[in-house]
Amino acid sequence: MLHLGWFLSFQVQSWNQMWSGEGGREWNKPQLYIDAARSLERAGFDYMMFEDGSFVPDSYGGNHDWWLKAARSVPKQDPLPLIPILGEHTKNIGFFATVTTSFHPPFMAARSAATIDHLTDGRFGLNLVTSHNHRTAQNFGHDALFDHDERYRMADEWIDLVRKLWDSWDADAVVLDEERGMFADGSKVHPVDFEGEFYRSRGPLNTTRPPQGRPALCQAGGSNAGRAFGAKNVDTIIAQVNGVEDMKAYRDEVSEHMIAAGRDPKECKVLFIVTPVLGETDAEAQDRAERGRLAMAGAVESNLASLSYATGEDFAKYDLDAPFPDIETNATQSSLALFKKLAAGKTLREFVTSDTRKSVDLVGTPDTVAGQMDEIMQEVGGDGFLISGSLHRRYVSEIADGLGAALRRRGLARDGYAGSTLRENLLEF
Amino acid sequence: MSADMFHLGWFGSFIPTTWTTGWDGTDAARWMDGKFYVDKVRTLERACFDFILFEDSSMVSDVYGGSSEATLKRGGWAPKGDPVALAPILARATERIGISVTMSTSFYPPWMLARSVATLDHMSRGRIGWNIVTSSEDLAAKNFGMDALPPHDERYARADEFVDLVTQLWDSWDADALVMDRERGVYVDHTKVRPIDFVGKYYKSRGPLNTLRPPQGRPVLTQAGGSPAGRQFASRYADMVMALPKGVPAMKEYRDDIRMRVAAEGRDPDRTKVMFVVSPILGETHQHALDRKAAKDEAVRQHPEGQLIGWSGSMEIDFSRFDLDKPLPDDVQTNGHQSTLANFRKWANGRTLREACVAYRTESMELIGTPDEVAAQMDEAMQEVGGDGFLIWNQPHNRRYIGEIADGLVPALQKRGLMRTGYGHEHFRDNLLEF
Repeated sequence: MLHLGWFLSFQVQSWNQMWSGEGGREWNKPQLYIDAARSLERAGFDYMMFEDGSFVPDSYGGNHDWWLKAARSVPKQDPLPLIPILGEHTKNIGFFATVTTSFHPPFMAARSAATIDHLTDGRFGLNLVTSHNHRTAQNFGHDALFDHDERYRMADEWIDLVRKLWDSWDADAVVLDEERGMFADGSKVHPVDFEGEFYRSRGPLNTTRPPQGRPALCQAGGSNAGRAFGAKNVDTIIAQVNGVEDMKAYRDEVSEHMIAAGRDPKECKVLFIVTPVLGETDAEAQDRAERGRLAMAGAVESNLASLSYATGEDFAKYDLDAPFPDIETNATQSSLALFKKLAAGKTLREFVTSDTRKSVDLVGTPDTVAGQMDEIMQEVGGDGFLISGSLHRRYVSEIADGLGAALRRRGLARDGYAGSTLRENLLEF
Repeated sequence: MSADMFHLGWFGSFIPTTWTTGWDGTDAARWMDGKFYVDKVRTLERACFDFILFEDSSMVSDVYGGSSEATLKRGGWAPKGDPVALAPILARATERIGISVTMSTSFYPPWMLARSVATLDHMSRGRIGWNIVTSSEDLAAKNFGMDALPPHDERYARADEFVDLVTQLWDSWDADALVMDRERGVYVDHTKVRPIDFVGKYYKSRGPLNTLRPPQGRPVLTQAGGSPAGRQFASRYADMVMALPKGVPAMKEYRDDIRMRVAAEGRDPDRTKVMFVVSPILGETHQHALDRKAAKDEAVRQHPEGQLIGWSGSMEIDFSRFDLDKPLPDDVQTNGHQSTLANFRKWANGRTLREACVAYRTESMELIGTPDEVAAQMDEAMQEVGGDGFLIWNQPHNRRYIGEIADGLVPALQKRGLMRTGYGHEHFRDNLLEF
């Protein structure tokens, strides 16, 4: 059985394409996401994961013009307020929203997450990022971003504190004893008196213990520091790894790290990012994939901008016909390492016009793709896939009602949810 | 003759409902799932309230008796859910009513607040308000890693800069930045989005904000300061000031003062509404209402602890130390709500603490009677004060009381032409400024 998730942002999803509908106008209202959440719940998805960022990118071309024109990564809204609404319109699917450990005050994040976990009856989780560029830091009043490894040391302390705040109310603290006039038992609510290198907090949290005890945690870091953090703390890791072999190595490495951290590897599900291309016949799907590749090859600017986004480096200034530049980054180190590996022996132009940013190609009829997913997971050893693609209703339906149904027929996707919380569903199999 | 039409809002917190009154249903165990609040806000929209306002705080008070035991036993200051997370659900369940949430300038990073409020304003289609507080409890400051809050007046100096910065972030996108030109593939016109490069004494931020200008441009700003610094702050920014002066003459004086300050800031006084907190006690007959009030007072006389816990939390003074049957000693100080302590002393005027608990009114004026009688009392008060309306403070916090206000008092007010029977606009601010 596979775990399934959907990866997205609270941003313009698709607005000037053939099947965009009214995407340019409705992206910042709840309905599009409600519809998606209900469809994915119908298909037995574990969760939707909202990434986030707090800056207007200007890494490509030295200004923000291209990004605003293309509606790429901006405008982007805060996903936290969206989750309670999605919770209201669903019963089982879980939701992760991204917060940055570098800038979100821990008490505020702990309380906000506890509240949302209550509002969703235990179906909420935090995706933790450390932020990866100076612009974010500057929006929050700093001159520059903290150093990569320092960010992870901060993150370690941050999550330690947030967990202590969640734990500051015992599970049986609320007694509601009408006879004694006792709402909560003071002896079961404890200050945390946390004194760290970066953070301090007295506690206790001023809201009751979240239904999951601790809301679920998700993480995506691929660097050494990031992986160690994930292995120690999170319930699910989202991974962008190229090819089955590397996927298997990645899952194995997560397991090793977890064992080293004293955890059972089954406690953390690794989901690999994919964008299945579906068709009524395998040939039709191949045609669509080919059209996609051609469009991708033509969108040089867009692809260069993506590289700039991940690395913070202005790729507009490099010669397209020279080899991929030899650069270092304080941003997403694992992404840069992957780009360098994939670009070996290629010019920058050859690299940005090739389609390399997915774990594996999944192309065919729903049944064909379900079969491919089955084979890959048998090889990799778990745990599932994270769909990333244009969030318009047609694609969501293709995945939920086409691929989802095919997976279910093969016994690879759940038929109903056994647990009632996000973590229970992640741990179901 | 009657007063001009006035505004009604509802003031409360994201806290448990009553649970020992006999009219509590099952909400006290399930309040954090938000469903009680969804029903509440729908009821208030049916009754044409301008808005619901959520105060907030970030602490488990342990001032009273030196521990959190009493606070938690009664469920007063804590637990309290984050109203920012509740607001989107309430907006989704309604069409026109405004929703104002408290966020503290002492704890939020300005960028985060600007973005979160902008997001809420989009999701609610222009119905979000930010209730600005500077926070006043050192205990909350300790949760955020500080030893104590900055002194009272510095908090307002910081808040000034904070609001300036947040407003500049909202303004960093022009209203016509979104062009959505499918042919040219241009979603946003980049010339209409600008960094703000804000460098203040307390805050810095580069900007621009990474989301579209909020539908209201600037979401509604509400505020409640009673001290001179608080009033001055309100007069610079607030669309609605929540006020707690006691008695009609003080209400009039307060409103006149705010309007004068607003005008001195070069703003139109009619664009800042002053609304007074009240908790009407309604009965089926006049005598029934008086009986309900007497019963309420007697309950406080027997169990003054709840009121003392509230004061302990807001004034940061342990009221458990004092003799209930003597007045508050003269040498007590606070770094918390200064105006609250000063007003308390002035008002208590030698009362014993027990009798002070019975006599104390958070609300500006007592309103007791049948719905029609209370409507007449509100009419008279507004004729005297000049405007701009009332904030109902839920006492007791349960469905029965909300229903009495929405389905008893409001129709009586509407019959007298004192309250709207529908909403003229889509945005919160437009409805607030409708009359």
